[in-house]
Amino acid sequence: MSIPVTSYLLVALILFCIGLYGALTKRNAVIVLLSIELMLNAVNINLVAFAKYGMFPNISGQIFSLFTITVAAAEAAVGLAILISLYRNRNTVQVDEMDLMKR
Amino acid sequence: MSSVSKWGNLAQYDWSVMSPEFIILGVATLLSLLDLFMNKKADRRILAWIGFLGIIVAGYFVVRNTGQNVVSILNDMYRVDGFANAFKLLFLSGVAFVFLISLTYIDESKNIRYSGEYYYLILTALLGAMLMASSSDLITLFVGLELLSISSYILVGTRKQHIHSNESAFKYVISGGIASAITLYGMSFIYGLTGSTNLYVIAERLSSVFYDGFDFLVYFSFFLMFVGFAFKISVVPYHMWAPDVYQGAPTPIAAFLSVVSKAAGFAIVLRVFLISFGSLVSFDMETGQQGSVLVNTLSVYIAIVAAASMIIGNTLAMRQVNIKRMMAYSGIAQAGYLLVPFATLTVLMFEQTMFYLVAYLFANMGAFAIIMLVNRDQKTEDLKSFAGLYHRAPWMAIAMTFFLLSLAGLPITAGFFGKFYIFMSAIVHSSYWLAGIMLATSVVSYYYYFGVIRQMYMRPGKTEAPLKVPASIGLVVLIALVGTVAAGIMPDPVMQYIHHKFPLQQMFQPGGQ
Repeated sequence: MSIPVTSYLLVALILFCIGLYGALTKRNAVIVLLSIELMLNAVNINLVAFAKYGMFPNISGQIFSLFTITVAAAEAAVGLAILISLYRNRNTVQVDEMDLMKR
Repeated sequence: MSSVSKWGNLAQYDWSVMSPEFIILGVATLLSLLDLFMNKKADRRILAWIGFLGIIVAGYFVVRNTGQNVVSILNDMYRVDGFANAFKLLFLSGVAFVFLISLTYIDESKNIRYSGEYYYLILTALLGAMLMASSSDLITLFVGLELLSISSYILVGTRKQHIHSNESAFKYVISGGIASAITLYGMSFIYGLTGSTNLYVIAERLSSVFYDGFDFLVYFSFFLMFVGFAFKISVVPYHMWAPDVYQGAPTPIAAFLSVVSKAAGFAIVLRVFLISFGSLVSFDMETGQQGSVLVNTLSVYIAIVAAASMIIGNTLAMRQVNIKRMMAYSGIAQAGYLLVPFATLTVLMFEQTMFYLVAYLFANMGAFAIIMLVNRDQKTEDLKSFAGLYHRAPWMAIAMTFFLLSLAGLPITAGFFGKFYIFMSAIVHSSYWLAGIMLATSVVSYYYYFGVIRQMYMRPGKTEAPLKVPASIGLVVLIALVGTVAAGIMPDPVMQYIHHKFPLQQMFQPGGQ
């Protein structure tokens, strides 16, 4: 039984949209970071699906997704570290309270 | 291929072309180790000088690489061509300026506690930028992009006790994360359509895919990637992070973001889109004529983005009272001007972009050096901190005037010719509306650039005490001033130099090893 590539792409698209929606609307900074991870995982699903069922299936997609995962981990680590230093000074993780600069 | 080494193919490559990157990597590693073993209280400025030396040596090797033929190793994952060398020299000189500005910045104000990591993170960011300039494979381009981004997230937040710095770093991480996810999503479709991450293979296969009814996906991935890269060059769909981040970042890092990071963004935009989309041809069924998709269709959207950046950047800059926010909006507008050659795609596209980037490098680095000096002295980032600067440090005021004139694009500065060339490219392409918007927004920009000049010469300051200028800042301002005026008086030699030493055609020769 084979599943057509479009269903993988659809899952990835839905995941990407949920991630984008979460990143743009959620108030909690940790959830915003998690939403970005969702978007990056959508990319991984895409890459791995294309590596098997793409126009020219080959291994590069899987290699690319390994790089994506690694870089996403580094980005999440840095993001959380910055969030902690922000929390130490402001005692908040609410994104809409981070508005000191426009005033 | 006769001698078989135990390293296989790896031993066949000419690794010496990578020496600029190896030097920067080595110096960054050395600095991190030195920082680890140094006494906690010891002065970290020695690290800055070692880093500075490393940049000079790397610059020497880049100069040695220029004018050579294309060298490509690891199946085009790394290549040395005119395009790469030009951008690398730009990055290296930008980071050298940033180091000189940082020496004074960190020396006096104790707000960066761990200055060792500050220096080597700039170097890793530089390494990422250099990889972005000299790779033509989506994977390595992406890794370079993220190396630059992640290093700069930390750099923006290095003032750990400073609440604005924390906030701007977090905003930068969030916007950067979303941008890289969008870029990657676009790249994943490009990979899926062509089955390769090599830009030359993508270019070969994209046309046939385009005909096979996947033209929507091709456009879709173009726009996704463009929006993601727009974050790095801070143009309109993705520009809102810039003012907040520049305001919260340490001033030398704001200078770094506005010049080096932005130039790296242009490097990746030009590299990816010119190679992989440059040969994409569409076929008009009714007239039977062939036309380049990049020139006919996509350039219109790029021109709209450029125009919107100019309008939004310049109008919002007028309302700012914080000088760093003003420079951020000015940077958005400048990025808009820089996109015009890419939208019009004349023969001299690369020379025009490069000349403008060089002019922008000198003017912005000089301006940020003086901004740092004045802000530190007055303990405020308000525009009013410039009041009476002419009576306190006349040479600084005069130099700042030249930098602002160059950013505004007025004669006897490099910025004038930079804008002139770009304006001519829009005229040649008969994009009169784009040229008109460029002209109109330039006039608007005089308002806020001259606002600073008015403060310096015509407003009384709080104090008349002479402003002490440290040697490193003096050096940055001197070099930037000489560069701005020299390229403004003799633009032709600079254009000729770029044209002969950094031929763009080399970019289109696949290495194919």
